[in-house]
Amino acid sequence: MENLHVVIGLEMHCELKSNSKVFSDGRNAYSDTANINVSPVDMAFPGILPVVNKYCVEEAIKMASILHCQIPDVMIFDRKNYYYPDLPKGYQITQCSKPVGINGYLEYDSGNKIKRAIIHDIHLEEDSASLDHLNNTSIIDYNRAGVPLLEVVTEPCFNCAKDAVSFLENMIKIYQYTNISDADTKRGQVRCDVNVSLANEKGEYVTPRSETKNVNSLGNIFATINYEEKRQREAYFNHSEELVQETRRFDEDTQTTIRMRTKVDAIDYKYFIEPNIPPFKIEKEMVDKIVNDIPELPLSRKQRYLNEYKLTEEDANTLIKNKDLSDYYDECIKIGIDKQIASNWVTVNILGELNKSNISIKDFYITPNYLKQITDNILNNNISSKQAKEIFAKSILENKEPNTYIKDNTQLSDESYLRDLIVSIINNNLAQKEAYLNGKTNLFDYFVGQVMKETKGKANPVITKKLLRDLLNK
Amino acid sequence: MSKFTKEMVDSYAEKLLIGLTEEENAMVLSEFDVIDKDIDIVNTIEGIENVEVMTHALDNMQIKELREDIAGVTPDISDLLFNAKNKIGREIEVPKVVGNDEV
Amino acid sequence: MMKYNYLTIEQLHQKLINKEISVEELVNESKQLAKDLQEKCNVFDYMIENPEIKEVNDNLLSGIPYGVKANYSTKGILSTASSNTLKDYVPFFDATSIVNLNKANAIIAQKTAMDEFGMGGTGTTARTGIIKNPWDHTRMCAGSSAGSAASVAYGVYPYALGSDSGDSIRKPAAYCGVVGYKPTYGMISRYGLFAYASSLDHCGVFTRSVKDAAIVVDNMKGLDPKDMTTWDSSNINLYESINGDIKNKKLCYIKEICDINNYPNATDELKKHLENFHNVIDKVRKDNIIIDEISVDEKLLATVASVYNIIAFAEATSNMSNLTGIIFGPAGSGASVTEQMKDHRTKGFSPLIKRRFVIGSYVLQRENQDRYFKNAQRVRRLIVEKWKNIFKDYDAIILPVSSGPAKKFDDKSIIDGPTKILEEHLQIGNFGGFPSITIPCGFVNDLPVGLNITGNIFDDANVLNIAYAIESKMEYKNQIVKEVK
Repeated sequence: MENLHVVIGLEMHCELKSNSKVFSDGRNAYSDTANINVSPVDMAFPGILPVVNKYCVEEAIKMASILHCQIPDVMIFDRKNYYYPDLPKGYQITQCSKPVGINGYLEYDSGNKIKRAIIHDIHLEEDSASLDHLNNTSIIDYNRAGVPLLEVVTEPCFNCAKDAVSFLENMIKIYQYTNISDADTKRGQVRCDVNVSLANEKGEYVTPRSETKNVNSLGNIFATINYEEKRQREAYFNHSEELVQETRRFDEDTQTTIRMRTKVDAIDYKYFIEPNIPPFKIEKEMVDKIVNDIPELPLSRKQRYLNEYKLTEEDANTLIKNKDLSDYYDECIKIGIDKQIASNWVTVNILGELNKSNISIKDFYITPNYLKQITDNILNNNISSKQAKEIFAKSILENKEPNTYIKDNTQLSDESYLRDLIVSIINNNLAQKEAYLNGKTNLFDYFVGQVMKETKGKANPVITKKLLRDLLNK
Repeated sequence: MSKFTKEMVDSYAEKLLIGLTEEENAMVLSEFDVIDKDIDIVNTIEGIENVEVMTHALDNMQIKELREDIAGVTPDISDLLFNAKNKIGREIEVPKVVGNDEV
Repeated sequence: MMKYNYLTIEQLHQKLINKEISVEELVNESKQLAKDLQEKCNVFDYMIENPEIKEVNDNLLSGIPYGVKANYSTKGILSTASSNTLKDYVPFFDATSIVNLNKANAIIAQKTAMDEFGMGGTGTTARTGIIKNPWDHTRMCAGSSAGSAASVAYGVYPYALGSDSGDSIRKPAAYCGVVGYKPTYGMISRYGLFAYASSLDHCGVFTRSVKDAAIVVDNMKGLDPKDMTTWDSSNINLYESINGDIKNKKLCYIKEICDINNYPNATDELKKHLENFHNVIDKVRKDNIIIDEISVDEKLLATVASVYNIIAFAEATSNMSNLTGIIFGPAGSGASVTEQMKDHRTKGFSPLIKRRFVIGSYVLQRENQDRYFKNAQRVRRLIVEKWKNIFKDYDAIILPVSSGPAKKFDDKSIIDGPTKILEEHLQIGNFGGFPSITIPCGFVNDLPVGLNITGNIFDDANVLNIAYAIESKMEYKNQIVKEVK
């Protein structure tokens, strides 16, 4: 039997985070109240015109440069014309003739192996309204209409579902690290069109491509690819159906895909350049400034953790799961905590604590500087690791910095300090000293007690006793 | 003979969500023929294929400033829905939309 | 007895300031004239019963009524673009130009009828019926801003707003014997103007004198954060820059358009029209102004109409995709959304628009786009470049408007024939966004005819000043309709 493999291309849509929409000043925010974040532009009232949001353009340029894309000298937009009740203008403003980025690539991590995805283009466009379905009718909420979307189109460069999903996971992380998007799949902020076909060993396509539209979670994308691979294999080998180039949709209930239309009925979107948006020159200084603002990305951090810091793959993966955690860890290293020790604390104790109390690292009481108080004292043998954990817990519980407790727990061994203290204690207890020297030897313990009381129990007992013997007998 | 046939006209009209009478259909064809002839003249202009398309009202139109990312105030819901005929609560209501309605 | 309808804006303002007349009197007279005209010529889309009275202040437009074309969004006032798809649409926001005129305390008196959505040049496709020319009711006003042109000509008010995507202000102005001016693209915001063809659409105005046009546009224009194609014109004051001094200005006209020998089957009207045009030019020449005859490649001129049609229909079919009856307009009937949208559109649009949509859609199809739409956009550039070259040597191009006075409704010669370029050359003003003004320049068989002056972009002040000087050489300033039949 012929050896076939699956070939996957992705079109990933991600909602941008911004104050206002991409072509209007309607508020870009999710709301349970319908039509509360809407401008007349979003509902396409007669006479409205689009006005491009500068911030969205900058974020699009940022993502284009992260994807190593060529960025054009001018920004222009196109209309994609089709009728659908969630598209009030009857066209979507998008980028077709000159996308904000073309011909890029992204190195991503799939099962701890570095792979490269080839990016066809990335473009900035607007989202549609959302439809909710009642018994016999649908209702339209325009809050989402005009929300900025970035669409990243890959070449058919993935050869298994796992790679495709890993790529998406990496992309989501990048969106979050750069704060371009929350990229929250649960809130529908990431949606994918999944293109699947089969190729033989020579890399020749043997089945026509199917495009499954608007799949909305990584699990469903995984299922879509696997189902399409299976369906096309069966059709190819068993002739169970005639394969044609077509558009399908994913059915969550059955975990299968269902035909929407074939190429014959394909919509001609009649793209043309949006005449209401004049070309906007993308100056090199603007791009440079944007590129400058890009934080170190997760994959680069992971490689640093592995190669320079010699952390384990597992710890590195844990640390880069979110940017705040990784930033926290990096701050620990910056202020001088040992790389391995910091990693242990962050991945075990701190993450455990965060999970338990369900708070984010940003709101966590123990800052890297506080953590250093603990780790330094372990290194100095001032506290044991058992004590360290207690101090850590107590510090969080009482919202007091670890040093408060560390002073209580560590021994006072400074001889000159103790000597001065003891001299003053003796001078204040001359009667007891007299009695001791006269044979009431159990008063020695009384003096030890006084020292402990003054030092809150921290005085080194050995040194204290030695000094007491010397000084009392003087 | 027109490149544009009666059947094509009807199919385009359908995709534009408009119905055409027979008479209207025939008029499209004759109006189109005028355009088609003029385009033949255009194609005799030397070097026409190398001319950059003019997509905006002013040639070489360009802007330097884009809109700052500030959200405005949403109009009152009663204004937004004032002209809609079928509504329920804060939303417009249409017959149930099923998957394949995109045209 | 009408007392004020022949006055200019400056004169009206003076009378208002001096309290020789009240705003109420002015508005009432305007209303009376509107009713008369509506009965005779059917020029209004929606008649406002009680216009909002506003105080007179320093602004020349304060307290003076004006007409608004039906495709401007006017808050709380029916705005239909003369289309059944919007026959009950009442906007909740004003077009930016209306906002600006509100600031001037100008008074919206009527909404004028037009060719549906600005498409068509006859004034015959409005939902309210055929719009007749007040000079001769058997003739058209041309379009699309027919109602605005007719009502200003009749003296209902000193000015009315129009829109111009091909010649929709400048041709009806000629047919109705008034001034029609569309400034450089982007001088007046299009926000709130119902889109026909976005890269060609202009706001503009009808008046009975050049100076009045300057006053109105000064009050409409300005950079608008809602329209990215607007530009800052705060350093331009058209009214103040009109001084009538055009010594040493250079104008030209185009031989291929103006020479009677190009039209072997010329009608009597066309002959008289061109003769009159050349007479006017000779008269102006005496005033130390140079007017040359120049030549332009006939091939470019021959394709103007089709280039315009292709671009305009393509943009229109997309622009009007928002007309589905879901958010506004009468709801269509049908079992599915698609059926309802189709019902709304089939019933709502006139046959002309539907035909144009189909053609617009065809030329945008992937496989056709290069031959039709993109080639049209290429020729557009060639023509605009040619015109800009002319403007290197000349302050403006002066040309006759149309092939004579207003056409009869039963005249079938409009669409094609050798006079096509005479009928369509004004569209070049839209191709390049050029400032362009039509002024009345005489009479042919007792019907007004006009000439057009077009200059380079941003050169509006120069164009108006030239128009003002030429207007002053003739006796048609502030003329009111004199009915011939």
